[in-house]
Parts: sequence; structure tokens; C-alpha cells
Amino acid sequence: MGKRNMVGAGVLLGLLVALPPLLHNHYLTGVFIVCAIDGIWAASWDFFSGLTGRENFGHALFIGGGAYAAAFLNGNFGLNPWFSIPAGIAVAVVFGLLVGFPTLRLKGPYFALATLASAAIMQQVAINLWQYTGGSEGIYGLDTLIDSSLGSYYLVLAILVATVVVLSLIARSRWGTIMRAIKGDETACQAAGINVTFYKIASLAVSAAFAGLGGVLFAHYQQAVTPDDFDVFLSISVIIMAYVGGIGTIWGAACGGILLNLMLELMRGLGEYRLWVYYVILMVVLFFMREGFVAPLWRRLRGGNA
Amino acid sequence: MLTVLIYGAVTSAVLAMLAVGFTLIFGVARILNLAHGAFYALGAYCAYSFTALLKLPLVVSAALAVALVAVFGMAMERVLVRPLRQSSLAVLMITLTVALTVEQVLFVVFGSQSKNVPAFVNFPINVHGVSVDGQRLLALAIAVALIGALWLFIQRTRLGSAILAVSQDPEAAQYMGIPSNRIFTIVMGLSAALAGAAGVISGPFLSVRPTMDQTAMITAFSVVIVGGLGSIPGSILAACIIGYSQTFVAFYLNPEWTGTVSLVAILLTLVLRPSGLMGRVVNA
Amino acid sequence: MSALLEVEGLTKRFSGVTAVKDVSFTLGAGEITGVLGPNGAGKTTLFNLLTGFLPSDGGAARFEGKSILGAAPHVIVNRGIARTFQLCRPFHGMTVRENVVVGCLAPRVHAGGGLEQRVAEILGEVGLAHKAEQPVEILPYGDLRRLEIARALATRPQLLLLDEPFAGLGAGEIEPLVQLIRRLHDTQGLTILIIEHKLREFMQLVSRVIAMDFGEVIAIGAPADIVRHPRVIESYIGKGAHAIA
Repeated sequence: MGKRNMVGAGVLLGLLVALPPLLHNHYLTGVFIVCAIDGIWAASWDFFSGLTGRENFGHALFIGGGAYAAAFLNGNFGLNPWFSIPAGIAVAVVFGLLVGFPTLRLKGPYFALATLASAAIMQQVAINLWQYTGGSEGIYGLDTLIDSSLGSYYLVLAILVATVVVLSLIARSRWGTIMRAIKGDETACQAAGINVTFYKIASLAVSAAFAGLGGVLFAHYQQAVTPDDFDVFLSISVIIMAYVGGIGTIWGAACGGILLNLMLELMRGLGEYRLWVYYVILMVVLFFMREGFVAPLWRRLRGGNA
Repeated sequence: MLTVLIYGAVTSAVLAMLAVGFTLIFGVARILNLAHGAFYALGAYCAYSFTALLKLPLVVSAALAVALVAVFGMAMERVLVRPLRQSSLAVLMITLTVALTVEQVLFVVFGSQSKNVPAFVNFPINVHGVSVDGQRLLALAIAVALIGALWLFIQRTRLGSAILAVSQDPEAAQYMGIPSNRIFTIVMGLSAALAGAAGVISGPFLSVRPTMDQTAMITAFSVVIVGGLGSIPGSILAACIIGYSQTFVAFYLNPEWTGTVSLVAILLTLVLRPSGLMGRVVNA
Repeated sequence: MSALLEVEGLTKRFSGVTAVKDVSFTLGAGEITGVLGPNGAGKTTLFNLLTGFLPSDGGAARFEGKSILGAAPHVIVNRGIARTFQLCRPFHGMTVRENVVVGCLAPRVHAGGGLEQRVAEILGEVGLAHKAEQPVEILPYGDLRRLEIARALATRPQLLLLDEPFAGLGAGEIEPLVQLIRRLHDTQGLTILIIEHKLREFMQLVSRVIAMDFGEVIAIGAPADIVRHPRVIESYIGKGAHAIA
């Protein structure tokens, strides 16, 4: 990692660590927690879809999977909330494999639709099987992982940093090169002796794992889960975050997650109209900032060498 | 039994209208228009506004609503979609953003409660001993008529041939003097008009609320995927299959599960036979 | 010379059209063999069948004695058969070097720590070392062809299938490529099967020609004989001509 990059990362991390205690506001700390969780979700999406170029429109499936796993174990069976973490990851990975096997051979828009449909089906199931899932109301009364809100924040922040580091390491490794080759030309990749199916499924599973982890954190922060955790709006928001941050950069996507949630909060004063503004801003990004906003901005600030 | 047959036919007809529009714009311009459900919702809400709020006569309201939605669709294509055509992800995103925006606008302007759209035909009609509400039969008739008209239009007119040419090869069509870009806009208008018309005629008997675009979208998807993206006959056939499946599930099982029917249909098709009944091969 | 590749009665049908019909031939280790035939003769389909990109409808194909039919493309590569494509397919968004790296990541290669060195070697062999860090999008077509070959070489193949390697190249670019292929054959003992239209270059390289038309093998023999073979001439020009080259 270049020296300037490290300085930038250091400053950003410093801000993220120092701001919440300085602001000393319980509500704002909660906002930061959600920002960090969004960052985890966006980074995990970007890892798969940004690197391989196959757009996953159902990331919420993994998020919701992790969240509901936490809800079952902690909410229904009263287990210690820390057990939710491995459970949530496991459930999300299973979902990833289940969805990946049949759908990864489909071309672009069809893969997008299949993933969209999978998440939507899970949402319907969560609503319809109300005896087990609490239906539209969901399951509430979950414990927090750490009682103090600042403590929860630091936990989530640490996991966010770990997520970005791990995913970036994989992305820069041979695995990552293969993923980018898959994006470049899948057929040629097979002709180069690479088992493309294996790498696609494995990458999706990794992406799912981290998304599920984020889902668990979210469940224990909200202390509740609802079918909205599978909603298409959530899937789309994650894509937008990655887009704004810079697709394929992973750290950019994480920043996009943090930024977008902050923006949404800042616009709370607009009441009902803030979602409109959100959408308009998104359209602007799509049109004028194809490469995203955060990553190109950082490149410009840092100057010169690529 | 006859009731199920007739209700099934009505559902299938409305579904067909939605699906044909969606598959049309995909077949011609390769655009997966996630705002299609929004056109449907707009059609219903425009009809509601014109009749209930502006007190315009029903037929005028209907025509105006459809026209408005068509123009909206064309504007969206021209302004938002055309510049982004090289990236299918960007197109998906922008149409989705439009859909979400429309949903928000409707929510803010009209509130979340269902609206009552006055029906064109208020009385029940007796079909072989089964009393069916007239509006539903009207919907069936209009759907069949519109789809038939579209089919004739494509097969018999010059513009229709141009559309077919563009759907096969937009570049080659341009070399032959066909303005592909303008054709895309026109087809989007047609697609939006069909969706809007579906909203107008089914508004009276289906729930009109801001989230109606979502259910419409998912069901339209399922029909189009089962039928094969880009195939109009496929969409019509699939509409009947899914329409009747939904009706059976609603009558004989549990009405709550009708939504799941379409979702399961999507997944099954994508897993077993991704190209659908009549579509082209789609494996990577 | 032991037969490296044995093909018997290989057949492929596409809804009514038999693209490859009952094709049989053998390749000995170290040979350079050519596949000749007009457009639509089934040459690329044959390659696709041999490399796992298309399932066959009948017949057999054995590489080093073991069947390769029904195996996935990457599995066949890892057995030792590499191919290039008629239209170059580089990995977009990556540099020349990265393209070759991917080839070295095939399990068969076990590159481990020597990856960088191996990549440098291959780039040197094909003459692209000075362009290693360039993005593939700006490469001229001749270099893309070399890249295709480099990537195939990276997988340490024993049998190399080249699909029209000279197509789209200008006069000045063909000769160096011919030299390259010959050099690779001579120094690495590769067995090579080439599909090509361009007869002159073809003749310089191959020791044996398999002529195809309408999916069938119509003649197999030395280049000089094949160009005088009546059925081969007929397939290219029509009845009544005397020789092609």
C-alpha cells in the first residue's frame, strides 16, 4: 500500500474512531454504527460483483439470512448473542451456495434477475411462515452484543476494518486476478485452465459470508429483524453505495456505505422528501460519475501516480 | 369451476398486457425496464386522479392516463436511459431509481391508503350461470383487443417492420436508414402505454396503492422469464400459465401465497430452462 | 512415434445440420498438422469438440490414451491441450502481463514462487516483454495474436490448437508469427494442430494436412499432395480446376 494511501486511510480511521465519543450523542453513535454496517455490506457486495462484473441484485438475501439466523438463536432460543456470528455467517454462506450453483452460469441480466428473485422469495417466505418468523412483524427483543452503544460501535468498526482488509487481500491475490479475468472474458478463462465455476461460487460464498456477518451485527443493533431485511430496496442501496464509492475498489465501496448513510441522516430534516433527494443524487452519480465518487476523488486528491 | 376459468382468464389477460410490454422493450432495445411496474401504477393513479379528483368522464380519463404514461415512458427513455445504454447495469439502476422515485412520489402525494377507482362497468354480467363483475370482463376484452392490435401493428405496418428489424440488429437497421434510437423511444412509449392501460383497466378491481408497482413488476418478470425474454407469444402463453396458477392457488389453497407463485416460477425457470418457453439461449 | 491424439468417428449435430461428421485422424507427438477447409467446413467446431467447449454427439477422442470427451474445458487444459481462438479473446481490463499470469494459475502449472519468472520467460518467447505493462485494449492485432499464444503457452501444453492464427494480420506481421510458431515447435517439442485459410504460410509450417469439407474429412496427406487432390480443389473452387496453390 502506498504511503499516501496509508496516510489517507489513517486519517479516515482516526476520524471514525474519534468522532463518536467527541460528539457524545447516543443517537449519532447509532447512526455511525449503521454507517459502518452499510460499509461492510457494500464492501462484501463489491468484492464479488465489482471484481467479477456479475451484478448481484439480491445481496439482501445474505444480509437477511444472517439477521434471521441471529434472531432464531438469540430471540427464539435465547442463546448468547455471540453465537449468532458463526451461525449467521454459516446461513449466509449456505444461501450463497444454494443460489450460486444454479444461477452463476446465467448471463448478466439473467443472473441479476435470478438473484433479485431469490431475495424476494425469501422475503415472501419470511412473511408467510409467520409461525416461525414472526411474519411481517418479524422477531424482536434481541440482545445487544455489547451493551454500551460506543462499545458496539467500536466492535462494528473493527469488523468493518477487518472486512476491508481481508477482502482487499484476497482481491490482490491470485484469486483476485482470476476473478478479474472472469470479468474480462469467461470463456478465455476456461481456456486458460481455470475452473471458473468453482471460483465464481467460492467468491459469492465469501461475499455472502461477510454480508451475513453484517446482517448479524445489524440484527443485534436493531434488536429486531423484519422481512425488510430481505427487501429489494436494501439490495439496491448496497449497489448504490458501492457505485458511489467506486466499483471494484472494496475500500471505496465501504466509504460509499458510510457516506450514503451519513447523507441520508443529514437529510432527515427534509422529512418525507429526503428519499427523493437521495434518488436524485443517485441519478446524478449514475450520469456524471460513472467511476463513482469516492475512489476517483481520492485519486485526484492524492495526485499523480496510479 | 367456471368462475375459476373466467377469473383465471381475466388475470391472465392483464398479466399478458403487462408482460408483453416488458418483453417488447427488452426484445427490441435489450432494456430490462425495472420501471415498468411504475408505469402500471401511474396508469392506475392517473385514472384515479382524472375521474375521482378532476371529475372527467371515464373514457377521457382512461385515454388521457394512457397517453400520459406513454409520454412519461418515452421521456424516461430519451433523457435517462439512452445516454446510459452501453452499461446494462447502469440502465437497470436508473430504471430502478425511477421506479423507486415514482413510488415515493405517489406515496407522498396520495398517501399509503388504497384508492377506489370507479369502474367503467358497474354491474355484474351473467356468463353461463356465473355472475362475473363487468369490469373484469371489460378488462379481459380490452387486453385481448390491445394485444391483438399490437400484433397486427407489428406484422402489418412499416413501422412494425422497422421495429422487427431493429430488434434483430440495431446497427444493421441503421445502415438501412432506420433510426434505431427513435424506434427505441417509440417502443418504450408503446410498452409504457400497455402497462399504463393495464393499470387503468384493472385499477377498479385490484388494489391501488403506492407499492402496487412492486407486485406488478415481480409478476410481469415471472411471466416474461417463463415465456422467454423477448418473445411476445411466449409471454402470452406464460401469462396464461401463471395467471391460472395464481387463480388456482388463490381459490383452492391460500390467497396469501399468490405472490410466491410468480417468484417460484422465476426461480424454477432460471434453474431448469433459463431461456424460458420460447426465448433464446442465455447461458454465459 | 506414438499417437498423442486419436480421434475416431467424431460427430456433432446442430438441430438438423451435421457440423462435424464421422471425423477420424491421429496426431503423433511433435507433429505440426494443419486443418484445411472452406468456411463452414466444421474446423472450429472440431476444435470446440476437442477442447470441451461443445458436447459431442458421437465418436471418440483420446489424448494420451484417455478419453477427453465430456470433460469441462478447464479440465482438458489441465490434461495438456491448449487452444487459441479465431477472434482474439484477451482479458479486458488487465495488462499483457496479467493476461499471461492467469494462464500460469492453471493447476497444471504449479507455478508457486516461480510465477513471475515464468511469465517473463513466456513474454520473452513471444516477443511481448517490452509491452508487459500495457493494457490489452491498446494492443495492435498482431500483438493480440501473440498474446493469445502466450496465454496458451502459459498452461504448459503438450498439444496446442491454433485457430486461424494468421487471420486479420497484414503481410509484414505474418512472417514473424510463422517464425514464432516454428521456433516454439522446435524448442519445446510442442505438437501443434493449426486451422488456417492462408495456404502459403500453412504450407511452410505443416508436415501433414487434414482437409475437411461439409463436416467430413475428405483427405489426409502431405501438403503437396493435398493441394492437388481433386476433392479438396472442388471444395474450394468448384469442379474443373487443377490446383489451388
